[in-house]
Amino acid sequence: MSLVHINILIAFAVSLTGLLMHRSHLMSALLCLEGMMLSLFILATLTILSTHFTLANMMPIILLVFAACEAAIGLALLVMVSNTYGTDYVQNLNLLQC
Amino acid sequence: MNLFTSSTLLTLLMLITPVMVSSTDFYKNNKYQHYVKNMTLLAFITSLVPMTMFIHTNQEMLISNWHWTTIQTLKLTLSFKMDYFSLMFMPVALFITWSIMEFSMWYMHSDPHINQFFKYLLIFLITMLILVTANNLFQLFIGWEGVGIMSFLLISWWFGRTDANTAALQAILYNRIGDIGFLLSMAWFLHNTNTWSLQQIFMLSQNPPTLPLLGLTLAAAGKSAQFGLHPWLPSAMEGPTPVSALLHSSTMVVAGIFLLIRFHPLTENNKLIQTMMLSLGALTTLFTAICALTQNDIKKIIAFSTSSQLGLMMTTLGLNQPHLTFLHICTHAFFKAMLFLCSGSIIHNLNNEQDIRKMGGLYKILPFTTTALIIGCFALTGMPFLTGFYSKDLIIETATSSYTNAWALLLTLTATSMTAIYSTRIIFFTLLEQPRFPPLMNINETDPMLINPIKRLLIGSIFAGFILSNSMPPMNTPLMTMPLHLKLTALTVTTLGFVLAFEINTYSKNLKYPYSSDSIKFSTLLGYFPTIMHRLSPHLVLTMSQKLATSLLDLTWMETALPKTTALIQLKASTLTSNQKGLIKLYFLSFLITMTLSMLLFNYPE
Repeated sequence: MSLVHINILIAFAVSLTGLLMHRSHLMSALLCLEGMMLSLFILATLTILSTHFTLANMMPIILLVFAACEAAIGLALLVMVSNTYGTDYVQNLNLLQC
Repeated sequence: MNLFTSSTLLTLLMLITPVMVSSTDFYKNNKYQHYVKNMTLLAFITSLVPMTMFIHTNQEMLISNWHWTTIQTLKLTLSFKMDYFSLMFMPVALFITWSIMEFSMWYMHSDPHINQFFKYLLIFLITMLILVTANNLFQLFIGWEGVGIMSFLLISWWFGRTDANTAALQAILYNRIGDIGFLLSMAWFLHNTNTWSLQQIFMLSQNPPTLPLLGLTLAAAGKSAQFGLHPWLPSAMEGPTPVSALLHSSTMVVAGIFLLIRFHPLTENNKLIQTMMLSLGALTTLFTAICALTQNDIKKIIAFSTSSQLGLMMTTLGLNQPHLTFLHICTHAFFKAMLFLCSGSIIHNLNNEQDIRKMGGLYKILPFTTTALIIGCFALTGMPFLTGFYSKDLIIETATSSYTNAWALLLTLTATSMTAIYSTRIIFFTLLEQPRFPPLMNINETDPMLINPIKRLLIGSIFAGFILSNSMPPMNTPLMTMPLHLKLTALTVTTLGFVLAFEINTYSKNLKYPYSSDSIKFSTLLGYFPTIMHRLSPHLVLTMSQKLATSLLDLTWMETALPKTTALIQLKASTLTSNQKGLIKLYFLSFLITMTLSMLLFNYPE
């Protein structure tokens, strides 16, 4: 596997770790989610362009569109939580406990 | 022969003229009443010409004037049928209307809208004559609806009174239910015999199925106040007395019976319809006679008497005797109108008192009215050789000696004796004994506009039966022989009724009953029929419709079925299936450790 691939995969792994191990703010989880999406996009684009896989030229763009929608939804949920609690601390999301 | 058509059409046209001048100045002065009355008189005299010609030659005539329209294969014309029934009925109706118009010139003297009253009476008369002379069902329906509308307008003459408005609406509603039957038979005839004209109907359907005749019977039950559709007739006494005398005793309420008489070639072949008419008529006559026994309003007693006689007419139709029924219509008109006019005279003279418990002792005070009332009651009960005898006694004789339903016969005989009982009640309470009204009453009967109509109808009540039954061409063989006890049945039960009523009235006139027994309550409350039917069935229907429309459609199907159910299911499912504690960081951390471990451990193929 080439160096570029490893680079981007490490970027992906760092974002994933950041998503799963955030401290208190939900915002940081959303930012890391964006980072994961971005690294996936770069990886896909580079691979497809270097292997001249023309049929899959659309895929990164579609991925980007869906990522944008998902970011919007995530931000809307963040705003809703922030409206209710005043902050976006993750420890506030405990209504489902039985 | 040439005078036949022209005099008939002249009669009808003469009556339209006063209606047409009502938009001019002539309508505003009080010569108008005399004008209308004189026109009716002239129309009566003109209509005697075709009647006499018919009696002389026994030739019928059909006038078919004007072809209005042809809708594919249905041809509608303006056609008048001058046969036995319409030619005999027209002079009778015109004579009675003339007398009533003269009477109402006295009765409604102080009414500011008296000209409009006369106009309404005249329009009613015109529509009644249209009904009687119609040759096709469309024209008959025009007349039918016309008399219904005029009845509404005339019953609610004093429309400031809520009872009058309620009564007028009640009349319209009950008549409408009968109209459903009429429209049903019109549709059936159109569908099966391709016409609405009577000649073709009689030719093409000799043995019709029961459905159209059932529709016609329903129409007659609605218009002629048979049992089940009867409460409008006593309520219609809210109108002025001339209206009660004209519409609801002689002319309009016989329209239903007249319709069935017109269709006698169809009913004489259908045994089921005859039995149904017989039973309905017998039930009506007994039920309304029972209700008449304890009423306290003089007009209501006479109204129930009318209803009872209508039931008797329906019974006669059920015995397959249309011509006898027609004779009873003509004779009944005379004495019933006279009874109403006498009651109008009593009411006006006692300063608008209608309760018989507050009348009495008018025997010496109003001699002429007393005479007329007593003769009218005798004619009603069928005293031998007065008017009522010629039709009523013949009906009872035919009923007792025909192969018929014994139950219906028994009911009819009981109702006949009850006729005598309530007639005695009227005579006893209004005329005899001591006066029960306030002493300072201005009682007189000197006005010729009051006396002359009653006098004319009195002569009619005495002699018309004789004259009519001897002038009418016979249409079927009369019954000549029967056992003596059957012949005397009607007379016996009537005498029994008179004697019984008089005895009871005399013995109990100073007694008072502390508790009302159940039978008296049944009779006074009209058999509980209005109480139940006017409240219960609308309440049930409205509740059902509210449940269907609001609760079922709106609330259930529109709101709850999809939207709210979906939300509810989602909510329940999510609370059931999720058992999280909200420890997100722990979950994320365990996910990370699992991923790392799996990537490390399963990366080396060993």
